[in-house]
Amino acid sequence: MPSVSDPAVKVENLEVSFRTTADRPSIRGLGSSLPGRRGKVNGTVVEALRGISFDVQRGSVYGVIGRNGAGKSTMFRAVAGILSPTGGQVTTSGRVTPLLTVGLGFNRELSGYENILLGGLALGLKTDEVKNHHEEIVQFSELGPAIMHPMRTYSSGMFSRLAFSVATHLDPEIVLIDEALSAGDAAFKKKSQSKILDMCSSDTTVMIVSHGLEVVKNLADRALWLDKGLVKMEGTTEDVIGNYLEHLAVEANATSMEDM
Amino acid sequence: MLIETTEGAQAEPRPARKPRVMAARRSGMPPLREYMSEVVDRRQFIWHMARTNLKGKHFDSVLGQLWLILDPILLAAVYYMLRSVVRPMGSDPAARTALITHLIWAVSFFYFTRGVALGGAKSVLGNKRLVLNASFPRLILPLTALVTAVIEFIPTLGIYLLFHAFMGQPITMNLVFLLPILILQVTFNFGFGLLLAPAMVNYRDINGFITYFLRVWLYASPVLYTVAEIPAGLETYLRWNPLYPLYASLEQVFGGSPPSVDYLLAALAWAVTSLVIGMIVFMRKEGGLAIRL
Repeated sequence: MPSVSDPAVKVENLEVSFRTTADRPSIRGLGSSLPGRRGKVNGTVVEALRGISFDVQRGSVYGVIGRNGAGKSTMFRAVAGILSPTGGQVTTSGRVTPLLTVGLGFNRELSGYENILLGGLALGLKTDEVKNHHEEIVQFSELGPAIMHPMRTYSSGMFSRLAFSVATHLDPEIVLIDEALSAGDAAFKKKSQSKILDMCSSDTTVMIVSHGLEVVKNLADRALWLDKGLVKMEGTTEDVIGNYLEHLAVEANATSMEDM
Repeated sequence: MLIETTEGAQAEPRPARKPRVMAARRSGMPPLREYMSEVVDRRQFIWHMARTNLKGKHFDSVLGQLWLILDPILLAAVYYMLRSVVRPMGSDPAARTALITHLIWAVSFFYFTRGVALGGAKSVLGNKRLVLNASFPRLILPLTALVTAVIEFIPTLGIYLLFHAFMGQPITMNLVFLLPILILQVTFNFGFGLLLAPAMVNYRDINGFITYFLRVWLYASPVLYTVAEIPAGLETYLRWNPLYPLYASLEQVFGGSPPSVDYLLAALAWAVTSLVIGMIVFMRKEGGLAIRL
């Protein structure tokens, strides 16, 4: 049985790799995928994650930083169960609510109001559970009368505001936020940051990927720095961000030296 | 910390959940029992998605739900004209009536099950956003397509049966065999859709071929013609068509007799084979689908 001290998310030696057959599938690729010809594949294997391990404590905010292509989003998808690991394992204690860049699986023909139920069911809730929070979600999204319009008429900001509201109001246990905090205007941003802190005080665990170090600095207790599919550093947010910035400065210097 | 909390924090402890472990599996298959119980657990999701699909489908059309009945009638009319040109029927009105009713039920059954296969095959690719953003057994997507197709078919079947009686075709107790035959046919096509769904994600070209393939399959099945019309030399080959025993037994049932056991057994064998292969392929591939989308 899990106890309070058990981590909410435990990642052990996680590997995710996939094969790309020179950008697009071809007739030759078709032949190589036939049984009996395994191992002779002439494509490149992309190792997005090369054995990473870390724990996230229940009720904490965990920041994930790193440059583009470091494997942050892939790691999130593996923790969310959207992608299967090709090595190692991920253990999650509690329902995982992913709130990724692309938004929830909303049906664009339907109104935002109707999509709340669809989004909630997609996250694994029951109809009653979603209906109990329906009005709260509508309120928080601040969409006003637009909530009754079909979602294809929404701007991307409105889209992510609704997605954020759905994901955070359905008693989430583990929330994965990938850049979604950049949704909406300054006021909504501030409101969503407060919401995250609120959730944490009721023992929700939050993992945040962000390029905006400010967000991570404000919210996260601990942070993970991913670099080319490996853990470069794990520790308190202050330490990790400090080192990360130093590293970026060194790299920037090196490139500017080359330019000279 | 710069941010203040807006609401009173209530730290209510949650009941402990069983931890979920996701690990690489040698077989590439998720554990079947857990997987299936999760699918059953998500039945409200399946139901709601099917309903919203239907709602969106005829939303912009003037005739709306009427298309459910219009579609098979128009299709049958087109094929009736085609049939009359290819193979003139003579002037016997009874034969003509029999052909018209045959065409209507056979064409609507074919298009219904074609929808099951096609809907299943396209379900993953068509729900890209959902697959990329939420974690659930992917089997839910083809199942939703199946539920959608079944809901659409029920009124069609009801209307056909009225028409069948109106045209003076035999109404007997044997019509109850429609249900098991339909289940076998749906199972076969569902399995076929499952087999195609991951392939469609990896090789989008399949999307281009599939409609032609299904059209050839229509011509190779006793849909536009009756079993009795098949030339003896050709029958030996057509028997290997998985749809052959299904349409042959349907023809017996609509004609007022019970279906032959041979046909039912053959259809059962095809249905089970298709479902098992489809499920294995689909479940093995589903973990990697998000990468290809």
